[in-house]
Amino acid sequence: MNRATRIAVIVAMAIAVLAPIGLVVYQSFLDGPFFQPKISFTLSAYEFVLDDEDFFDALYNSAVIAFGMTAIAVPVGALLAFLMTRTDLPGRRWIEPVILVPMFVSSVVLAFGFVVSLGPAGFVTLWFKSTFGFVPWYLYSKTTLIVIAGLTHVPHVFLYTSSALRSLGSDVEEAARMTGAGPLRTALTVSLPMVMPNILYAAVLVFFLGFELFGLPLVLGDPEGILVLATYLYKLTNKLGTPSYQLMAVVVVAIICIALPLVALQRFLLRAANRYVSVKGKAAAQKPVSIGVWRWPAAAMITAWLLFTVVVPLSGLVLRAFVSSWGEGVNLLDVLTLDHFRELMEFPNLTRGIVNTLLIASVGGALSVGVYTMLNLAAHRWQSGWTRLMDYLVLLPRAMPGLVAGLAIFWVFLFTPFLSPLRQTMIAIWVAYTLVWLAYGMRLVSGALLQIGPELEEAGRIVGASPGRVSRDLTIPLVKVGLFSSWLLIFVTFMREYSTGVYLLAPGTEVIGSLLVSLWGTGAVDLVTALSTVNIAMIGGGLLLMSLFGKRSHG
Amino acid sequence: MAKLIIDDLHLSYGNNEILKGITATFAQGEIVALLGRSGSGKTTLLRSIAGLEEPKRGVISIGDQPVFDAAAGLNVPSEKRGLGLVFQSYALWPHKTVFENVAYGLRLRNVPKADLQQRVATVLDGVGLGHLGDRYPHQMSGGQQQRVALARALVYNPPVILLDEPLSNLDAKLREEARIWIRNLIKRMNLTAVFVTHDQVEAMAIADRIVLLDGGRIVQAGTPEQLYTEPVSLFASEFMGVNNQILSRVQDKRGGYARIDLSGIPLWGKDRAGKSVSDEATGVIRLEQVEVVDGEGENCVPAELETSVYLGSHWEHVFRCGDQMLRAFGRPLAAGTHWLHLPPEQLWVF
Repeated sequence: MNRATRIAVIVAMAIAVLAPIGLVVYQSFLDGPFFQPKISFTLSAYEFVLDDEDFFDALYNSAVIAFGMTAIAVPVGALLAFLMTRTDLPGRRWIEPVILVPMFVSSVVLAFGFVVSLGPAGFVTLWFKSTFGFVPWYLYSKTTLIVIAGLTHVPHVFLYTSSALRSLGSDVEEAARMTGAGPLRTALTVSLPMVMPNILYAAVLVFFLGFELFGLPLVLGDPEGILVLATYLYKLTNKLGTPSYQLMAVVVVAIICIALPLVALQRFLLRAANRYVSVKGKAAAQKPVSIGVWRWPAAAMITAWLLFTVVVPLSGLVLRAFVSSWGEGVNLLDVLTLDHFRELMEFPNLTRGIVNTLLIASVGGALSVGVYTMLNLAAHRWQSGWTRLMDYLVLLPRAMPGLVAGLAIFWVFLFTPFLSPLRQTMIAIWVAYTLVWLAYGMRLVSGALLQIGPELEEAGRIVGASPGRVSRDLTIPLVKVGLFSSWLLIFVTFMREYSTGVYLLAPGTEVIGSLLVSLWGTGAVDLVTALSTVNIAMIGGGLLLMSLFGKRSHG
Repeated sequence: MAKLIIDDLHLSYGNNEILKGITATFAQGEIVALLGRSGSGKTTLLRSIAGLEEPKRGVISIGDQPVFDAAAGLNVPSEKRGLGLVFQSYALWPHKTVFENVAYGLRLRNVPKADLQQRVATVLDGVGLGHLGDRYPHQMSGGQQQRVALARALVYNPPVILLDEPLSNLDAKLREEARIWIRNLIKRMNLTAVFVTHDQVEAMAIADRIVLLDGGRIVQAGTPEQLYTEPVSLFASEFMGVNNQILSRVQDKRGGYARIDLSGIPLWGKDRAGKSVSDEATGVIRLEQVEVVDGEGENCVPAELETSVYLGSHWEHVFRCGDQMLRAFGRPLAAGTHWLHLPPEQLWVF
């Protein structure tokens, strides 16, 4: 790419990122929706929100939940990472892929699963009651919400800690063993401290995700009226009867103001972490540490965690989708049925939702990867103020939870005259998805691009290829595999996305995720579980494809 | 005829000055080594010639054509300079076969198909890989990959070929063979070549001329013999060979020679730095120039034999003379005191 193209691409990205945020900020200072003819600037929206007890309740709840789930997810995730990467734990091979499942299933679906299994009338609850005569848990309390949120975010901590542990050469551990430290001492004094920056990064990430939480509190907090920031925003729409855009804008501004410093902190920590990792010993051969009899309790702990966060909710959900009724004394085998799926097919908006989800994940995902690649190529091997600007711009959408970004994009399409005909098409959904996952996608693609040494491209220039030809003949073919696996990840990500489409939901723009949120509100549990099952199956297909592809490209 | 001219080249990264005014001329058919430690600017200089770095001042011309002129705002991009560059890592494209790696430069120049086949085959034969065109780079050994990299750089007859530490990734035995092989190939094709190395033996073995760099400046340029036998500075003498150093003061000067002392014994050596009497000075003599002699004489010092090391073709002896150590090569010696002769014309005073 030449300089002019690069700058043009970066400017286009700047507009796409800044327009929604600018519009939100603008809206927050108005006394009515921006499209009304007579509007004036005022601080009244801020006054209203800051006067609202519910807002502070939600803020407090968000903070408590974020702290609580971090305190649960970080130790469990770090321990899990150590057990999986460094020890001779039995069954590591088959446990490992399952650990990441909670990351790939949308959290609203997981939440439904918990309701269906562990709710007051859930499968597990009823079974427990009939066996022991009492039920020691209550699903809809804040504590349960924190525990569930914490345990479902263990994979995030696991992912970052295990990758750091893997890149840590076993020579540093062997050195500690040679000096006389036992396995446990080695883990506590050498291995874990060396990956501390990564754990810290994962902790900030989980804390940040805690503030963004939407699906879990929407489903699990609602019965007891536990509001968090995102659900407060969601409820605000209905609160005053009329669309109170200015109030929503204020809440969005508040969410962004909390998220932005956290995003900046994450970025800083990630850089520090990477610097720390790169100076470590050789990562060549790694010998697992033998933990002796401790491997059985360790394996039991992992199994219990998997059972609670993956097996119980997902199996309950799938089971619920296939039965007509359940309860005490009902033999589940007698009530098996496909009726819920038949019913699903009778609603054109639901079938359209399934097709749309497939389209947005496959075609839309590919287009998004194309966009992320363009953006990456624009900054590729170029040190300048423009690329630094781009670095910071990428962070902005990161500070917008899907719900917020969807709302902002909805407004942009409403506000911009030439875009408004597209508002009720999948294009609006695609723009919102691409924006929400910008930072993630950019990192996926840049990871692939960074794998090729600069000299491979320089060699192309030297033998006479223009920058454009170098991109076409060398860079793109070299990252082809990386781009394909990025697409697979984006495919699964778009498939499970549920919050971004909520405000964009209209006839023609249905996707499974946003349909689930709105169906849950109407109480159509049969349809919700059936649709969730379809979603899980689709994600499972994507993951299967991914593992097949992974096997092929490795062997 | 000058093929490549570099005039007053300056380059910096931020406040870090890498090249501080390099001026050099490279003649047609000449092999020149850019020699220096890491951080001396040798690779940066090579990359500047290739167009991969942008200097902030100076001129680079290939043939009669300037390709870079900071004052005129001229900076011909790499692909338009038509040079050949062999990368330290070889930088072979892993998704192309050996044939395609080599052919790419010709395809970019729209060479007709038949001609292209012919030329790639010729150059691959030239580097002894004619039969391996269908292989992928990862299926080849390091030595073979290096030959492919060379073939890729040669195939479109560049006016100048640049090599960045071409031998550093080969093991020791292979490296010694490759030195002779590369020199013969370049000479046979009558190419102008510039290569970067940190190994003075490699530089002397391959190059017609050596440009010694330090801290972004040229310390000395000349034939390998000139650099080895007439280094202009203490740095150059240290870089090019293995020396004894005698730290002293200048005691006296006479007819181009200066007198220093070693533990009270006067020694005359060539005055190479124009030091004045009573200045601090360093006497430098190559190990192979120190002779073990039978008895006392002019420029001779008595020294205690500390230890001897057997190196196969010869012995290396370490002597102590007062508080200084002297090393010398020679036949096996008995323990005790020996007389060492340091010829005045071989002892350089800096």
